[in-house]
Amino acid sequence: MFISGFGYIIGETFKGLYRNRWMCLTSTGVVAVSLLMLGLFMLVNMNVAHITDLVKEQVEIVIYIDDQASRDTVDALKQKLQDNPGVLEARYISSEEHMNRLRQQLGRALEGYDTELDNPLLASYEVKVVVPESVAELAAEFQTYPGVDEVFYGQGYVEKLFSVTRVLQLIGLALMAGLSVTAVFLVAHTIRLTVMMRKKEIAIMKYVGATNWFIRWPFLLEGFLMGLLGSIMPLVALYYLYCYSIDWVSANNLVFLACCR
Amino acid sequence: MIEAKNVSMKYSKKGQFALNQLSFYIDRGEFVFFVGSSGAGKSTLLKLLIRELIPSGGTLKVFNRDLGRLPKRRLPYLRRNIGMVFQDFRLIEDRTAYDNVAFAMMVIGARQREIRKRVPYALGLVGLEEKARARVCDLSGGEQQRVGLARAIANRPALIVADEPTGNLDPGTTLDIMNLLRSINLRGTTVVVATHNRDIVDRFNKRVIHLDGGTLVGDEQKGFYTHVH
Repeated sequence: MFISGFGYIIGETFKGLYRNRWMCLTSTGVVAVSLLMLGLFMLVNMNVAHITDLVKEQVEIVIYIDDQASRDTVDALKQKLQDNPGVLEARYISSEEHMNRLRQQLGRALEGYDTELDNPLLASYEVKVVVPESVAELAAEFQTYPGVDEVFYGQGYVEKLFSVTRVLQLIGLALMAGLSVTAVFLVAHTIRLTVMMRKKEIAIMKYVGATNWFIRWPFLLEGFLMGLLGSIMPLVALYYLYCYSIDWVSANNLVFLACCR
Repeated sequence: MIEAKNVSMKYSKKGQFALNQLSFYIDRGEFVFFVGSSGAGKSTLLKLLIRELIPSGGTLKVFNRDLGRLPKRRLPYLRRNIGMVFQDFRLIEDRTAYDNVAFAMMVIGARQREIRKRVPYALGLVGLEEKARARVCDLSGGEQQRVGLARAIANRPALIVADEPTGNLDPGTTLDIMNLLRSINLRGTTVVVATHNRDIVDRFNKRVIHLDGGTLVGDEQKGFYTHVH
């Protein structure tokens, strides 16, 4: 009895799919479209997050070293910076290096500042931090360290950058949550519809004494197959779409998309 | 076969009794009419017999099982011993007569070999072997009810419960269907029929249990519909 029951369930699953082929096609389509929308949006959201991370990584703190500070103070300062858990890396930039950078940018305008003694620039530490949002706090802390002349981290516009990225993230999360709920609702509703379409059949099955699992299994399998098909299609579509868009973006020298391969 | 002791039914706690303190006993192999006007409680009683409803008072035993205490998971196995026939046939219209009968056997896990033997036999009993491959929606009302009967007997139930089986049929067809029910009964199956068709009840001369307003007002062997009125 078990074997023939099993055969019945498998057979009935495929018969059911065939008999209700339009309904099944619709359901699969609804699942596929919902997931495609969700997937598309997740990819967009992921890339927005990726871009904001890239931008945030550029944020750093520049600490100008007091030119009266002794060598020991400067070394101690470096040690203190490196020991700070909020600091990712601290790089020493000598006044000569600053001068060289300026020279590269400005060229001939700096004629006359050729010797070391003429250099008015201060040596500095360029500090990358672990959490970009903590720059203001850390900068205030660095200000109190001995041998520090001044601390810069782009006061004013860094805060704006962070509030913009936070808003972007929140919008993304809200939209994604909304889309997920919509997708779940659509899929659940479609399943309910398919069951309702066959209410009569189910009632007859109950009257003649089919066990609940005997009634459920073909539905579950049908649902499983439709769900599988409805999720593989957008997955494949999204994969090729994304690879294609990466090729397109890098061909146009926009390099900020996260790579899929 | 069926034993009712003070069976009562209320659809809501404060509502009226749909059935009030019914007691009767139906033996194996009997043919019984439940009669009464609409709202007398016939359908409620049949729903209790197949345990679509549970009595709110008293005990109802079918096959010596107390239906009030039957666990839900045992219900399918009770139903396999009861063949049901409905006024509105309840067939799957876009499938053939054969498929409808086979469906009832398939969903309880019968073997293919058994199904191939039993379905033509059941259709033969109701005189439909020629229309086995016709879709139900192409059959007449009487033929559809024959399919319903064939489906009801397919799993060899000990009890047939028919709720107004001829309610939608013309007098000639009604007689055919009732004769089929009688011949099924003659093969040993207990048959319970709810009806308000006087002609049939009077003509068949079987046991009649008469309900009125939810109470049992008459129970006679070889009874007539009209006696109590």
